[in-house]
Amino acid sequence: MSNSVISVISRFLEEYASSTPNKLKVIDAYLLYIMMTGALQFLYCLLVGTFPFNSFLSGFISCVGSFILAVCLRIQINPQNKGEFLSISPERAFADFLFAHTVLHLVVINFIG
Amino acid sequence: MAHLCLFSLLVLSLVLETQALTPTHHLTTTDVARLQAVLSQPFTDLKSAYYSVVGLSKLGISVADAAETCRFIKSNLDPSSVESLFFAAEASQALPGCEIPVSNDTRDLLLATVSEDSTASQIHQSVSALSSLGLPLASQEVVSALKARISKEDNVLTIILALQTASRLSQQAELGEILEEIEDLAARLDDLGGVYLQFEEGLEATALFVSAAYALSDHVDMEPPLKEDQVIQLVNSIFSKKSWDSLSEAFSVASAAESLSNNRFHVPVIVSAQGPAAISHSQPFLRLQVTNVLCKPLSSASVLVESATATSSKSAILSQAPFTLRDGVFELNFMASQPASGYYQFSVAIAGDSRFVANHVELKVKVSTRVSINNMDLSVVDKDQSIGPKTTRVEYPAKAKASFMADSHQIFAMTFQLVDETTGVELTPHQTFVRLHNQKTGQEVVFVAEPDSKNLYKFELDTTERKTEFDSISGTYALYLMVGDATLENPILWNVADVVLKFLDEEAPSTIQAKTLYTPKPEIQHLFREPEKKPPTVVSNAFTALVLSPFLLLLILWFKLGANISNFTLSPSTVLFHIGHAAMLGLMYVYWTHLNMFQTLKYLAIIGSFTFLAGNRMLAQKAVKSTSSGLYT
Repeated sequence: MSNSVISVISRFLEEYASSTPNKLKVIDAYLLYIMMTGALQFLYCLLVGTFPFNSFLSGFISCVGSFILAVCLRIQINPQNKGEFLSISPERAFADFLFAHTVLHLVVINFIG
Repeated sequence: MAHLCLFSLLVLSLVLETQALTPTHHLTTTDVARLQAVLSQPFTDLKSAYYSVVGLSKLGISVADAAETCRFIKSNLDPSSVESLFFAAEASQALPGCEIPVSNDTRDLLLATVSEDSTASQIHQSVSALSSLGLPLASQEVVSALKARISKEDNVLTIILALQTASRLSQQAELGEILEEIEDLAARLDDLGGVYLQFEEGLEATALFVSAAYALSDHVDMEPPLKEDQVIQLVNSIFSKKSWDSLSEAFSVASAAESLSNNRFHVPVIVSAQGPAAISHSQPFLRLQVTNVLCKPLSSASVLVESATATSSKSAILSQAPFTLRDGVFELNFMASQPASGYYQFSVAIAGDSRFVANHVELKVKVSTRVSINNMDLSVVDKDQSIGPKTTRVEYPAKAKASFMADSHQIFAMTFQLVDETTGVELTPHQTFVRLHNQKTGQEVVFVAEPDSKNLYKFELDTTERKTEFDSISGTYALYLMVGDATLENPILWNVADVVLKFLDEEAPSTIQAKTLYTPKPEIQHLFREPEKKPPTVVSNAFTALVLSPFLLLLILWFKLGANISNFTLSPSTVLFHIGHAAMLGLMYVYWTHLNMFQTLKYLAIIGSFTFLAGNRMLAQKAVKSTSSGLYT
């Protein structure tokens, strides 16, 4: 059982390393960073306590929001999805990404206290 | 639904029937004396002479000096004034042996006043003067003049005067229409709370109405259309005022009282107990005064107790027992029926004359008795019951010779019986208290003694149980027994014995403090909201570093992936875009530290629009470059 799981994972990693374009890998690295930041914040909250709760929430939501926006960017940039996003060029996707982030950061800074 | 309506109607009618009114206000003998005094004042003119003389005659009292009064009237008479003639004629009629000389001119003047053009008052005065002086008058003319007057002036006083005038006319005249006015006038009376019935014109108008209505009804021998309740309400209104503003008001009250006492149809009966309605062995007779409104006793009446029921047990003690008349007062020996002490509801009926109104009265009678204390036994019982109780019997009103000692191992007990002195029946008065009074400290503790099922009173004092009431102050306490009740003639305060109480854990005997109700209370310290517990700075700093560490990881990964900024063109839009973007991020930091949302939005709008334009240019250039270079497939 575990054998098959390990083999699946190793196969997946191989495929990933070979067939994913670099741009997407860059974004994937960014995604990993965001996720780790969020996870560490959550760990702190679990261990030390929720004070101050608003700060925790804004930090956590910032991570979650950034993750989602980055995923959207990745989907829209992926050349394999080009057919679904005919009207949206990669530059347009990036511009949307930046604008959404501005709004997100505005809200996060407001709430962080 | 119909059944319910019918049933409720029936119940309502029963309730209304049973609650017949009895007069709440009436003239007492002092009030009648005061009325007489007001009317006996020395008179200044003919009008006041008329009120005094005629008023007193209505009360059944003759004027002190008739001859002098007659002379006064004759000298003040003005034969050319109808009013003057009226006063003189009426007053002389009330005085014995007083005759007013009448000339033809006088008669003609009076007859001429009887016409439609005179006021009702003038018609009344001339008709009364004519009839008092014994001169003939044409009744039919008067009737038509009155009818014309009533139709022109519809106010209350006019109609009252018309009624008065009609009572002086001959019985053959057609007085039917004027008689109907009584009913119409009665409808104009104001009912105040179901107790009073009066005209809004006031007491005088109401009193004059009563005397006029009964005068006319007696004259034509027809019962006035006034219901019993209405008569009683009129009695309440007229006799509620005990001091009168003017002579005319006093006169109107006197004439109303006279007509209510002496008319042929309705005579209101006033029943009042002489003194408090209380009976005891020393005073076994219930005395009732049964009078008319002028406080004259009704000797023709026969007073009967229809039923006497005890209010507590609702058992009937008496039924159909007659009162005997003695010296103008009706009395009944109620103690002969040997009632137990308490309150009794008497329903009394006054018969003897069909004219009597309000002749059913409800009275509450109290029967008192004297109490005596039997078998007062005091004892000190050991709690573990090892030593038998020593009972000491004390007789009222002596005090026990030895004082009793009770400490924490003993209980002080007291038993006694309260009985009626004469009958020996056991009593349970409302107040049976045991009071312990410490002579040294002035402290007083009161307990209630409760009777058991056999009506034996018991009181037990356990020093350990009761130490809070005593504040654990040991010492000699004087024991008092207090017995009281509304139906007891001899309430008792008896110093039975002295009790020495010993309490355990005696605190230092402090003097009794006055109630600390108005001294300053202890100050309340306000506890401000405590700030929440923060984790130590080391932990926070460690975690801050930890949270920032993935950024390093990101940089490493990116480096490994070969991400670079080799495509960075130094075109103005690119530079400007990056500057603008950096400015926006800087604004976020400044927002966190200094600004509020409105200021941030303002700056953001400026920087944002600048960045947008630059970025748009930059990305457009990039897009053109990438499509031309075929970077994207």
